[in-house]
Amino acid sequence: MNIKESIIVALEGVWVNKMRSALTMLGIIIGVAAVIAVVAIGQGGQAAVMTSLEKIGTNLFMVYARSNDSNTVTTADLITVQDVEVIRNSTTAIKYISPVQNRTIPLKHGKQNKRANTYGIWPDYKYIRNIEMEKGRFITEADEKAGRRVVVIDSELAQHFFGHQDPLLKQIDLLGISVTVIGVTKSDKNFIMGPNQTPNAYVPFSAFTSAIRWNYVGYIEASAVSKEATDTAIEQTKRILHHRHRNADKYNANSLLKEMEQANQIMAILQLIVGSIAGISLFVGGIGVMNIMLVSVTERTREIGIRKALGAQYRDIMIQFLIEAVVICLIGGAIGTFLGVGGSLIVAKIANWPPLVSPLTIMVAFIFSAAIGIFFGIYPANKAAKLDPIEALRYE
Amino acid sequence: MIKINNLVKVYQSEKIAVTALKGITFSVPARSFISIMGPSGSGKSTLMNIIGCLDRPTSGQYILDGLDVSSLDNKELARVRNKKIGFVFQTFNLLPRLTCLRNVELPMIYAGVPQKERKTRALLALERVGLGDRVNHRPNEISGGQKQRVAIARALVNEPAIILADEPTGNLDTKSGEEVMAIFQDLNREGVTIVLVTHEKEIADHSNRIIQFRDGLLVQDGGVESPLDARDMLARLTRDEEVSNYEY
Repeated sequence: MNIKESIIVALEGVWVNKMRSALTMLGIIIGVAAVIAVVAIGQGGQAAVMTSLEKIGTNLFMVYARSNDSNTVTTADLITVQDVEVIRNSTTAIKYISPVQNRTIPLKHGKQNKRANTYGIWPDYKYIRNIEMEKGRFITEADEKAGRRVVVIDSELAQHFFGHQDPLLKQIDLLGISVTVIGVTKSDKNFIMGPNQTPNAYVPFSAFTSAIRWNYVGYIEASAVSKEATDTAIEQTKRILHHRHRNADKYNANSLLKEMEQANQIMAILQLIVGSIAGISLFVGGIGVMNIMLVSVTERTREIGIRKALGAQYRDIMIQFLIEAVVICLIGGAIGTFLGVGGSLIVAKIANWPPLVSPLTIMVAFIFSAAIGIFFGIYPANKAAKLDPIEALRYE
Repeated sequence: MIKINNLVKVYQSEKIAVTALKGITFSVPARSFISIMGPSGSGKSTLMNIIGCLDRPTSGQYILDGLDVSSLDNKELARVRNKKIGFVFQTFNLLPRLTCLRNVELPMIYAGVPQKERKTRALLALERVGLGDRVNHRPNEISGGQKQRVAIARALVNEPAIILADEPTGNLDTKSGEEVMAIFQDLNREGVTIVLVTHEKEIADHSNRIIQFRDGLLVQDGGVESPLDARDMLARLTRDEEVSNYEY
């Protein structure tokens, strides 16, 4: 008996017991769909996080004063604008640098009031964060030097305060100081931050510190000349700070590269956990297949006896039942793949991720479901093939 | 065709040993039509299973078509069943979900006959038993007599050395039974060796020779002087039927 015949016989077996086969398949369908969806959604989400982090720039880093167990930070340790100027002029590894102060404060226009993340920054900040303009211009060196009371707001704020009016050259009240809108940035909404994020506003560092009456720098934000130079840039920055403040171990740095690595790790662990749960459901589906195959063998004892009397060998019966199990698993696997891919495409669409269903995932799911068919089919098939023909023929 | 020499079969359970066949010797020449009779417990079924290569004797020799099959392993026995033996059972034993044609094709599938040839041969076999018009029916769509004829077509499709029929008329009415016996007699006239197991004397009288068993021993072996002709019986049955219809 060749394989083609065995497959036909197995398909007949699946087809005759449609309802039972369908229910058995359901377990495999859910398992495979879950595994594919989890892997695809995980990979898609990871890719989305990475692109949005990379958009900010992998060269980005921040340095700030921080107390730890053995050290407390005093005002003498706080970073000053002069520090940042020295760093800018004396390091080679830094391309853009800006002191940052930020407060979430209410901005007012007429009777309208809106809380915004307001940043006191240098013009370089635009390049560090890849800020894109929609209208007007960003803060310039001249604004900073002259301490001009100007503000750049994002499109959401512009919409909130001015609606369809041109926001440029309009006045906004910032902590009792009137500032002039000189530009509107594109609102940089991305899914990591979620919806309803606080809008952003940017003010020259000098103007902002005088408005909040605090002259120190909250933290330094900079981007290195290259991804590889990030560590050197951080080292140089810290060394200058320690030297100028005559202290040690008071400054800390965060780089996006490091954060990406951490994010990657966390996501890998999450994927592993959810993936294992999905894997368990696939395993349970496999047990369902074995269960049904055992019932099927008992039910068809007489058929097996007849086939043996007509000359079927151990091998023929074994292959017949094994193929039946594999066929159930493969059909279930195909439907499950279809649902899993469909589901993850829908999720990708809703979450605005790149759809990521790799052919490898599909192939693995397919091979895996065939393997489940074989693994859970072997025991029942062996039981069938080992039946004694005389006993089997006598079975009612 | 069949040579059986001092055949013994002992069923060994945990505590007791039951001797079902206590040393049996007989032979069946080719082209015979022989009946095996005996009450239940006589060892008849055990002998059937051994002749059918479903079981092995404990001792003794069984030579089928020149081949000593007494000590073959399971795989070889399966091959012998496939090529040299055609089974006809009391309960037909057709696979219910397959059409008549597919049922008849089954032994050839296991013999590795190519698909096209298989279909041709299955159709021929079905025509031979008068069921050329029922090939695509399923067993539950035809009568008992027709089922048994499909089973006979299946038994002869691999051109076996012997056809082994176990109470083939047991589940049939008299007329269908005679139809089945007529087919056996036709096949025998064409040269097929037939071994029939039955407990009905009337059915056994259709064959040329009757062997009787009792308590695991062969107790009687003799020829039938004038075997019943199934065609005559059928003609008589039809005539009786007509008469009773007329009276009614």
